[in-house]
Amino acid sequence: MTERASTDAGAADGDRAARRLKARYAAERRFRALGLAAIACSVAALLFLLVTMIGNGMSGFRRTELRVPVDFARAGLRVEPARLGAIDALPALRQAGLSQVLGQAAAASLGPDGAAELDPDAWREVARAIIADPGLLQRRVVLSLPASDNLAAAQRGDGQRRLRPLATRLAAQGKLVRAWDPGFLTRADSTHAQSVGIWGALKGSLLTMAVTMALAFPIGVLAAVYLEEYAPRNRWTDLIEVSISNLAAVPSIIFGLLGLALFVGLFPSWRSAPLIGGMTLALMTMPVIVISARAAIGAVPPSARDAALAIGASRIQVVFHHVLPLAMPGIMTGTIIGMARALGETAPLLMIGMRAFVATPPAGLTAPASVLPVQIFLWSDEIDRGFVERTSATIIVLLLFLLAMNGLAIHLRNRFEKRL
Amino acid sequence: MTTYHELDPVEAKIAARDVSVFYGDQQALDRVSIDIGTEYVTAFIGPSGCGKSTLLRTFNRMNDTIANARVEGEVRLDGVDIYRSDLDVVQLRARVGMVFQKPNPFPKSIYENVAYGPRIHGLAVNRTELDAIVERSLRRAGLWDEVKDRLSDSGTALSGGQQQRLCIARAIAVDPEVILMDEPCSALDPIATARIEELIGELKGRYAIVIVTHSMQQAARVSQRTAFFHLGRMVEYGKTSDIFTNPREERTKDYITGRYG
Ligand SMILES: Nc1ncnc2c1ncn2[C@@H]1O[C@H](COP(=O)(O)OP(=O)(O)OP(=O)(O)O)[C@@H](O)[C@H]1O
Ligand SMILES: [Mg+2]
Repeated sequence: MTERASTDAGAADGDRAARRLKARYAAERRFRALGLAAIACSVAALLFLLVTMIGNGMSGFRRTELRVPVDFARAGLRVEPARLGAIDALPALRQAGLSQVLGQAAAASLGPDGAAELDPDAWREVARAIIADPGLLQRRVVLSLPASDNLAAAQRGDGQRRLRPLATRLAAQGKLVRAWDPGFLTRADSTHAQSVGIWGALKGSLLTMAVTMALAFPIGVLAAVYLEEYAPRNRWTDLIEVSISNLAAVPSIIFGLLGLALFVGLFPSWRSAPLIGGMTLALMTMPVIVISARAAIGAVPPSARDAALAIGASRIQVVFHHVLPLAMPGIMTGTIIGMARALGETAPLLMIGMRAFVATPPAGLTAPASVLPVQIFLWSDEIDRGFVERTSATIIVLLLFLLAMNGLAIHLRNRFEKRL
Repeated sequence: MTTYHELDPVEAKIAARDVSVFYGDQQALDRVSIDIGTEYVTAFIGPSGCGKSTLLRTFNRMNDTIANARVEGEVRLDGVDIYRSDLDVVQLRARVGMVFQKPNPFPKSIYENVAYGPRIHGLAVNRTELDAIVERSLRRAGLWDEVKDRLSDSGTALSGGQQQRLCIARAIAVDPEVILMDEPCSALDPIATARIEELIGELKGRYAIVIVTHSMQQAARVSQRTAFFHLGRMVEYGKTSDIFTNPREERTKDYITGRYG
C-alpha cells in the first residue's frame, strides 16, 4: 500500500518535472525570440539610415561640369616659376589673368552664354592644378570646370527656364556633363555647390579630434587612476565623484559657452581654431572617460593587485604594469563613446565661432577651421538643390569617419584583450 | 596563554612579538608571539577565521592594503622591525615572498610572469641573465619541463596546479629569504598537491617557509614546526611530531582528531 502510494507520488512528480521543463524551454525560446526581434529592429533602423543616406548622398559626390579646351601655350599666361612655389601663388596667377584666359577659352568653345555660366571660382581649381604641375602652362588641355549652380539646376530640369535650352545644347555637344567629383574630398568650402569640397571640414574635424583625444584621454585616465587608487574615501572625493557624474550630463551647448568664455576669452586670436574646438570638446569628453575608466579600474580583480604587490611592485608599477592594461578595454569603450559624441557635436562649436565661412583647409591647429557636423549644419541651410546633395554626401563622409574611428578603437581594444 | 613545547634554540628569521591585528573594531589576532626559522617549514593550522592568513600577512605587510586594518606589536626580520616608519615595503616584499590560496598568475606570458619581479628589482643586467633566472626559477618550481617550449603562452592558460607552481616560481625568482604560502594547495588535485609538497621539501633550508593549511596530513607531511590557532590566539606551538602525537591542549587535540566543528 505504502509502496503503491509512493510510486504514484513519483509519477506525479515526474509529470510536474516534465511540465516545469517544458515551461522553462518555452521561456527560453520566448526570450531568444525577443532578443532576435530587438536585434532585427536595430539593424533595420541602421539599414534604413544607411540606404536613405547613400541613396541621397551618392549624387553629392558628382557635380555638373563644363568641358573646356584651353591652350595655355598660346594664351600667353606669364608667371615666374619661382612664384608658383610661393605662398601667394594663387593671387599671382589671378593677377596674371588666369580668369580671363579661362573666360576666353570658354567663350570660344561654349559661346558667350555658356561662358557666362562658368562657376566664378573655377579659376581657383585650375590655379591649384597649375601649382601642382607647372608644366601645364606649356600644354593644351581639356579642363573640367564646375558649371554655375544655375546651369546645374537647369540641367536637372529645374531652376531658371531661360537656361534650359543652353543646358540641353551643351549637354548634346558633350560639353556639359555630370561627372564624379573626386575633388569634393580635396577642396574646401565655397559659396557655389558645384565647387565646394569637404577637405577643409574633414581636416578641421581630424585636428579637433586629435586635440580632444590628446587632452581628454590622459587627463581623464589619470583622474580616474588617482580617484580609484590614491584618493582617500571621504566627503571631498564623494563631492568630486558627484560633480563628474553631473558634468557628463550637462548639455553640450553649455560647454560651448564655457569654451567661449574661457578659451576664446584667453586666446581671442584663436577663435574658430581646432585647438579651441578640441579643448572645448575635451571638457565635454573628459567626464565620460573618467566615469568609464573608474568603472574599469574598479573591476580589476584584487588578486591581480595583490600578486603584484606581494612580489614588491611599487604602487605606480602596480597601476601601470597591471591595473591599467587590465582596465584598458573598458577605458577604450568609454573613450570610443565619448569621442564619437564629440565628433558629431555641433552646438558647442557654433558657440566658439567654428561656423565661420572658411574657404581654405586649416593650415594648423590655430588656423580658423570648420568641422564636418558644422559644415552639414551650414549647408543644410542653403536653398540651392546642389547643396542638399552635398549635405547628404558630407553626412556619408561623417559616418564613414565615425566608422573608421570606432573600427580603429575596437581593433585596439581587441589587441589589448588578446594580450591578456 | 600559548603552550610552547620545548625546542632547541634556533636563530629566528622572523620574530613576531605580541602581534595583534584589528579590522576596524574587530580584533582578528590577539598577542601572538612566534619565531620562524630557515631550517624548517612552519605550518599554521586552525579552524576557518582563526587568523592564520592575517598573521601571515603581517610578515610582509600585505595588511597595509586593507583600508581599516591595524597592526600592534612587533615583527622583526633579521632583527629589524618591519613596521618601522622608514622601512621600504617594496624592499621588504622582495625579501618576503608570498603565494596565495588561489593561483593568481599575471595575465601575461609565462616568461613575463617569472621575469617581472627580477626586472622591477633590477636583478638582471641583460636578457641572458634574465633568461637564466627564469629558467632556474621554473626548474626549482618543477615546471620547466612542462612549459619550456611555450614560454610565450599566457600564464592563465595553464592548469590550476601549473598556475600555482608558476606563482611559486614567480615568488622565488626575486630570490626572497622567506616564502609565505597561504593554503597553496586548496584549489588543486592530489597529484598537483603532491608535486607542490615535494617542491616545498626541496625549497626547505634555502628559504624560511611558512605554510597555512587545512589539511592535517599535509601539515604532518611537509612541516617540522606547527602552530595551532583558535579564535585569534595561538594555542599551541611546537615540533610537528609533538603537536600531532602529543598535543597538550584539549582544543588542539580536538581539532587534529577532527572532533572540532
Ligand atoms: N579584510 C578584512 N576585513 C575585515 N575583517 C577581516 C578581513 N580579513 C579577515 N577578516 C576577519 O579576520 C578574522 C581572521 O581572518 P583570516 O582571514 O585571518 O582567517 P583564516 O584563519 O585565514 O581563515 P581561513 O582558514 O578561512 O582562511 C576573521 O574573523 C575575518 O572575518
Ligand atoms: Mg585564510
